[in-house]
Amino acid sequence: MKLPRLLRTTAVQLALRYALVYVVVLSLALSAFFWSTTRYVDSRLETAMEQEIQSLTELFDKEGAEYLKEEVLRRTEAGRQDDRLYLLVAENGDKIAGNLIEWPDDMDIPSDGSIHSIWIEDDNILGDFYDDDAYLPVVASGFPDGTRLLLAGGVEQAEELQELTEFLIEVLGISVLLALLMSIVLGRKILGRMDTISRTASEIVAGDLSQRVPVSGRTDEFDALAVRLNAMLDRIQRLIKGIREVTDNIAHDLRSPLTRLRNRLEVALLEERRPDEYRQTLEAGIEDAESLITTFNSLLGIAQAEAGNHRTQWGPFEVKGLAVDLTDLYRPVAEEKGQTLVLDDGQGAVFTGSRDLLAQAIGNLLENAIKYTSENGTICLKIHQTDNAIELEVSDTGPGIPDEEKEHVLERFARLESARNTPGNGLGLSLVKAVTELHGGVLMLENADPGLRVTMRFPDTPVT
Amino acid sequence: MHILLIEDDVQAAEYLVKGLIECGHVVDHAPDGEDGLHLSLTGQYEVIIADRMLPRRDGLSIIRILRADGKQTPVLVLSALGEVDDRVAGLRAGGDDYLVKPYAFSELLARLDALTRRNQTATTENHLQVADLVIDLRKQTVNRAGKIIRLQPREFKLLEFLMRHADHVVTRTMLLENVWDFHFDPQTNVIDVQISRLRAKIDRQFDVPLLHTIRGAGYKLSETP
Repeated sequence: MKLPRLLRTTAVQLALRYALVYVVVLSLALSAFFWSTTRYVDSRLETAMEQEIQSLTELFDKEGAEYLKEEVLRRTEAGRQDDRLYLLVAENGDKIAGNLIEWPDDMDIPSDGSIHSIWIEDDNILGDFYDDDAYLPVVASGFPDGTRLLLAGGVEQAEELQELTEFLIEVLGISVLLALLMSIVLGRKILGRMDTISRTASEIVAGDLSQRVPVSGRTDEFDALAVRLNAMLDRIQRLIKGIREVTDNIAHDLRSPLTRLRNRLEVALLEERRPDEYRQTLEAGIEDAESLITTFNSLLGIAQAEAGNHRTQWGPFEVKGLAVDLTDLYRPVAEEKGQTLVLDDGQGAVFTGSRDLLAQAIGNLLENAIKYTSENGTICLKIHQTDNAIELEVSDTGPGIPDEEKEHVLERFARLESARNTPGNGLGLSLVKAVTELHGGVLMLENADPGLRVTMRFPDTPVT
Repeated sequence: MHILLIEDDVQAAEYLVKGLIECGHVVDHAPDGEDGLHLSLTGQYEVIIADRMLPRRDGLSIIRILRADGKQTPVLVLSALGEVDDRVAGLRAGGDDYLVKPYAFSELLARLDALTRRNQTATTENHLQVADLVIDLRKQTVNRAGKIIRLQPREFKLLEFLMRHADHVVTRTMLLENVWDFHFDPQTNVIDVQISRLRAKIDRQFDVPLLHTIRGAGYKLSETP
């Protein structure tokens, strides 16, 4: 994986920003800590030094110059690793005792018993207990005989403070590094999962619609996204399959009637004919075209219902009124065949959806029932409202559909073997199914013993 | 009558113009939306046929401008099936009728007739009469030559529609849309059966038949076939 792309990932960008904020905040905190610690240590040190120089001054006053010299010598004995530096010098500046070699001459130190900070070079210190030149707090005192005492301190404490500071800076550095490392690991991981999604997308673009985004099973947001994407792909695949079926069907089922129409017209033109023969041919041609248009419209109607293009006509309406209108329309046809068409309308259920489409669906069911039921048969349209569903049911006393054929009859252009000689294009039930599903319902075919019962069951909470 | 046809498909326009002229109409043809709008605003037409999808300006916007301008010329909208929003959008825009391609020429003729007739009989009358057949719209009664004929409510509505369009052809689709408010194409001869029932009631016992079947087109209620 190339680094620039990794750096551009949201995870890394975020992590970098966090790391920056982290560094700033930590630096501020460290500075504050360092500052207050230094102040505390310094003030403790200063107090201690002030007390020490005072006690040494008192020693001089009480015991005399010789005793002070002894005391300084004792305190600076080799091996006695105190963190104090002492220097006792005579009036002329000659060293009397101490572990500093000479009085630092670059600065005039007032002998007033107050603390000053001066630069002390390493070379000026006897022994090896400090490695570097440094600013050290010093306090000086002058005595009546002209000798002066210099006390410098805090070498070890200064060193410890410096070590602490270095340690804290190291901690800061390591944590920034860790943050960067984390962000890169995170970024790679996210990139990796994004890559699987975009690989799938490329394969789909390349034409393989069956590809799906792998779901890791971690039920994280990537899985949620993958599940959504897969659901979307399923739907798209179904729609495309539908479109392919339609085109296949058009190619297959419209080809022969179109050929018939064309041949009829060609044959009519082969030789001179009487006007009434031309008229006959033209009328037959119109009939052919008419049946082609009907088939074509049915196919488009199904495709439209499946795609859900009827939202402008969407609204609530009384199913009972629709059922009354439909039975009114079809009853005479049924009666012509000696059949009885019954409406069992139950309660006045209100339905939300497309009245036109539902009318067409029920109309198709009634037409089928009338077509396949024998004389003296009964056809019943029933509205049935349950607690959570509205059921519209058309039952007949006809021959029914064998169980093994039930799935098959819902396909486009499906015709039962036994129905080969009845007119029809085999699209009626496909439309019923599409309309039912558009309204969020399910279509069921059952045996009514004898006969067929087709039920469209819709959830009571309407699809909007 | 004087018809304006706004249609961009040259072949379709050609046979429509030919057919309409042969049926005795005077036709102006506009090949695109802008021409159509100009002609419909300046010319005097009894009816306008407008395709929905047109170059330079779509059919529905022509109707909107026309209506905003106060012109009430009836408009029949033509559209290819599969366009979204379909019939409802067409009627909502101010169209008076809507026909989906492919349609039968006889259907178009019948609807043009119906549109102009609707314009003429906008007055409310209590009675409609064709020959000796009279219906009373207020009392919902029918009699022919003084004999009372009993009709069911739907049969009455069917007869009323036929009488309002007397002497003109009405198609099966027009009946289905206007009497039953259904906008689909039944695969069985439901309308024919309904008509033959009505015919049995209003014609059977009388010498002169009034309800005629027009082959390949529809039905006509008229004293003369």
